[in-house]
Amino acid sequence: MSQAQGIQLGQEQGGLVSRIRVTIARRTEGRALALLILVAIATWITEPTAFTAWEVTLGRVALIGLVALGLTAVILMGELDLSVASTLAVCGVVMASIDNLALGVVAALAVGLIIGVVNAFFVVVVGINSFIASLGMLFFLRGAAFVISNEEPVRLASRDAGIAFGKPFLGPLTPRMVIFIVAFIALQVFVTRVRAGREFYAVGGNREAAYDAGIPVRRRIFTGFMISGFVAALAGVINTLERTAADPTAGSTVLLASFAAAIIGGVLLTGGRGSIFGTLLGATSLGILQVALTLTGVQVDVQNIVIGLVLLLAVITDPNSLRTVVGSARSLFQGRSGSHPVG
Amino acid sequence: MTNEAQSVAEAVVGEPAIEKQPFNLLVWMSSRGIFVFTTVLVVVAAIFIDGFASLDNITDVFNRAAPIGIVAVGMTFVVISANYLDLSVVAQVATAAVVLIAVSNESNIPAAMALAFVIALLYGLVNGVAVGVFKANAVIVTLSTTFIGLGILRWFSGGSIYFGPQDGAIRSFGLAKIGPFPLSMIVLILMTLILSFVLTRTNFGFLVRSYGSNRDATRLAGVNTAWVVIGAFTITSIAAMIGGFVLGAFSNTAVSSMSTGFDFRALAAIIVGGTSVFGGRGSVLRTLLGVVFVSVLTNIMVLSGLGFGVQQMAIGALIVAAVSIDSLARKASGT
Amino acid sequence: MSENPTTETTRQDAGGRAIIEARNVVKRFGGATAVDDVSIEVAPGEIYGLVGENGAGKSTLMRVLAGILTPDHGSVVVDGRELEAGSTRAALEAGISLVHQELSLVPELTVAENIVLGTTPVQAGFIKKREMKKIASDALEEIRVQVDLDEPIVRLSVALRQFVEIARAIARKPRVLILDEPTATLTPAETDYLLDMLERLAGQGLAIIYISHRIPEIFRICNRVSVLRDGHLVDTVSISDIKPNEIVDKMVGRELKQELETSRTKVAAGDVVLQARGIKAPGVNGIDLDVRAGEIVGLGGLVGAGRTELVRAIVGADIKSAGTVTINTDGTMRRVNSYRSAISHGFAYVPEERRTDGLALTMTVSDNIALPNRSQLSRYSVLMRGKIGTFAKELADAVGLRPPEIQREAGDFSGGNQQKVVLAKWLGRKPDVIILDEPTRGVDVGAKVEIHRLVRDLAEGGTAVLVVSSDLPELLDLADVIHVVRDGRIAGTLSRDEADEKSVMSLASGESQVRGL
Repeated sequence: MSQAQGIQLGQEQGGLVSRIRVTIARRTEGRALALLILVAIATWITEPTAFTAWEVTLGRVALIGLVALGLTAVILMGELDLSVASTLAVCGVVMASIDNLALGVVAALAVGLIIGVVNAFFVVVVGINSFIASLGMLFFLRGAAFVISNEEPVRLASRDAGIAFGKPFLGPLTPRMVIFIVAFIALQVFVTRVRAGREFYAVGGNREAAYDAGIPVRRRIFTGFMISGFVAALAGVINTLERTAADPTAGSTVLLASFAAAIIGGVLLTGGRGSIFGTLLGATSLGILQVALTLTGVQVDVQNIVIGLVLLLAVITDPNSLRTVVGSARSLFQGRSGSHPVG
Repeated sequence: MTNEAQSVAEAVVGEPAIEKQPFNLLVWMSSRGIFVFTTVLVVVAAIFIDGFASLDNITDVFNRAAPIGIVAVGMTFVVISANYLDLSVVAQVATAAVVLIAVSNESNIPAAMALAFVIALLYGLVNGVAVGVFKANAVIVTLSTTFIGLGILRWFSGGSIYFGPQDGAIRSFGLAKIGPFPLSMIVLILMTLILSFVLTRTNFGFLVRSYGSNRDATRLAGVNTAWVVIGAFTITSIAAMIGGFVLGAFSNTAVSSMSTGFDFRALAAIIVGGTSVFGGRGSVLRTLLGVVFVSVLTNIMVLSGLGFGVQQMAIGALIVAAVSIDSLARKASGT
Repeated sequence: MSENPTTETTRQDAGGRAIIEARNVVKRFGGATAVDDVSIEVAPGEIYGLVGENGAGKSTLMRVLAGILTPDHGSVVVDGRELEAGSTRAALEAGISLVHQELSLVPELTVAENIVLGTTPVQAGFIKKREMKKIASDALEEIRVQVDLDEPIVRLSVALRQFVEIARAIARKPRVLILDEPTATLTPAETDYLLDMLERLAGQGLAIIYISHRIPEIFRICNRVSVLRDGHLVDTVSISDIKPNEIVDKMVGRELKQELETSRTKVAAGDVVLQARGIKAPGVNGIDLDVRAGEIVGLGGLVGAGRTELVRAIVGADIKSAGTVTINTDGTMRRVNSYRSAISHGFAYVPEERRTDGLALTMTVSDNIALPNRSQLSRYSVLMRGKIGTFAKELADAVGLRPPEIQREAGDFSGGNQQKVVLAKWLGRKPDVIILDEPTRGVDVGAKVEIHRLVRDLAEGGTAVLVVSSDLPELLDLADVIHVVRDGRIAGTLSRDEADEKSVMSLASGESQVRGL
């Protein structure tokens, strides 16, 4: 019949401007970028030292961002790992309790992986919602950190290594920053170029389709939780080295900040949407914000308030939330009187 | 199963169509187990743990159980509405205690209580609107309000400890007893009875259960579901406020860090009591039993010389175990 | 069943060159048999049509062929070799590709990534991007669709997504391509394009199994067609040996008449109670509708025609983009602008998805019935338990709930009895307008008769009834007037006297359009 005449199904390939527009429209990091620009401008005006002392700012970004990067892997699959903060604490304590530094680091990282496996076990095999499974884990590990440490900070045996670790070793970059950058690149490559990482989007975005396409969904979920456990352990190791001691109560604000970074970064809590780069942007805005607040002499408590507010705003201004809010806000106040005679 | 297949399956099942459920241990444990477990735990403790069965110890258990229990019976509403939990009770309890003691030192008790009440309503409204209207995840919402709330509290209090006057009304309330029962225990029981009535007998409680069971069906029955969620969070906040009053009165001191661990102890009590984290199913009375269970367990650990860390580990494991049983029971009973 | 599955004829047609066969496939769900002893054979280069009403077992059979479901009996044979049962991987390796009815793409991944999903080419775990894009562009080339390979699916139109889905199946280099209702979401032009494409692919030797409700499409491209009814294979015929109306006969020709005990006597319809004007919503392209007091208005049409979307927009369960709905019960016209205002003005809505939208399955029947009636069952916001008990019992008896145990959880009951509970809870409000969406889907015959009786009683009591049903005999039996919906518009309106199964089906499937061929 009419093959020749065809039908217009695809889009026209446009010029440079429209290509750029398309590229921008495909990104999910809009909110993070907006916040970053806002924070950057405000900081520029009020406290430009946050930029001149950029090593400090970068250090803070690395502190906030590392755990968030690992967390993003899990959230992309529509799961949640609330146990990251106490994983950080436990792994730090485990590391400090072992006299041999190398052995301690290995043990800490191994514990992180095991925690990831256990979390994934409850989610995948037992079938508990990951919120609750990792919440139970959060409490359990918080206790475990106390038990292992005898409820007090554990001093690192090799203090020299710790002190050396706090010093710049690659130009102005401290090891923490280097590890953060490496972790960012590794995860960015993983979720954009590696098949397993790319399939995280399938697991989170359309799990049924992922099963049907023959993607090993369970294995992917295990991988995701192991990544977040490992990265949290890494953060614990870094903290312990820099402070030359492990605090069993460490990481209480890490949970808030890392969730805030990921959610601001456009990572959808129900999975399937977001990017590691977005999380980096989210962490960067929060880092600049914190440093600027500190420099202007704002107390830690107020900083927590600000970050809490940012997270609250981020989670309620999710595009999906906003779509439903129009309907429910209308019905909230309309009620039964919401109809009126016509004419 | 495809819709088509499911329809066919339903069509042929025919009627009368109620299958007799065979006895299933997991189902039994998740619904009725708490009665037996609590009894066994208490009996075992009384026999094997030195000092458990003493009057002083039991009063102590009651005193410690009361504030957590009051929070737990309130938070049962949030759990039944299928919104997991309210983490911000930690901030709310501490705020109520600090407000009670600090403000009553400055002016008077009614003013303190009124202020605390306004704060509680605010918490309920913020959490409830974020979850009920914006459909945001309750765990993340209440995580952020915890930090906002604790931040504000520490900002105002500067982290300092407030002491009530040694002869004040708050102090005498905190020490008051009726027989072996501290007054706080009476408050817990009253709260349980009132909230149990609200959950099982009032229109609102009915809607909370219905919403937790199936929010779409509830909306399609013409219910304003946003108010149901706001209500559930507000009840939790009011309970947290009363829990904070009781906690502050018992110790006659208040500090922003005094309620650490209330979130998960309350959750543990609720879940062990058999309220499902999947929503819809649950009972305030059974939460009370869960409170007894968790408190006795904690007391046993304390008497056995086990530290705070081990207690936390045990309760974390308890939550995961109870939810696992609930989840496996659901699979077994096919709902 | 008078006709036997004509395996003899099939053999003759396909000869020994069949590439895929289903041999005596039986698939049960619980006690229900969805596919009962069905055998089909498809040859390379053939387009094989599969038709049947909703629930006839077409999708189930195809899922067996694709290895998604394991048959209880029988086997799938490819090139004379039996396929490992219930293995998607084995089916894929044997060259069977299924294009799903519901879209199975990942929204945030790109076109190229979706096309290779599950079979992404990798080297040491890394995606070989160039090879991936090559596979994707080849597949798109094959179906002659142009789309940016780097575009995330979420930014594509529904039609384009459907074509990407087909490209994905093509990319697997299939020898058998199964399409399940691929045109449900396409415009006529897009449908044309798709059908041309399938003919071309068949010309290259691909075996195609094509499932559709739309008779014209079957006639345009298929060589043979099989009709399924209630899980049985009714007949397989060469397309040149049959006329469109005969296919419709075979699809609907069942011995249903005796189950419908009484036909409705025409009630003198009253004033217009429900008036909908210019309703637009996703899938609904401007529909006007009137329902009078005591009248039963039926909405016929195929799945995906926009009927559910229409009634949900009317009642306000989903937001409509345009149009007004007014209700007139006491002489004043009132505009309805939210779901809750509709309910409070005497609407009742029995949704299509009873388990997810209709009932709280973990609550008791009594509680479910009380839910929309709570204001009359409580005083000072306190529920009056005794009153709820008698109220629920009365309604449960009225709808004939079996067993009549109102304190049991709704989830314990059969589909038919669950539906009675949904009806009972709305009956308690004595609605002026009731909207029923597929009221007897998945309901056993006995309960079906009782539900029909209840609907008739409601209409006789003066309620305006709007019913959506894909069950033709039901629609014909209940409705005073039938609007047939196609592509979000009313394709035709049939009065009680004009309507029969064929006239409705013709309008719904566009069969009347083929007659010219």
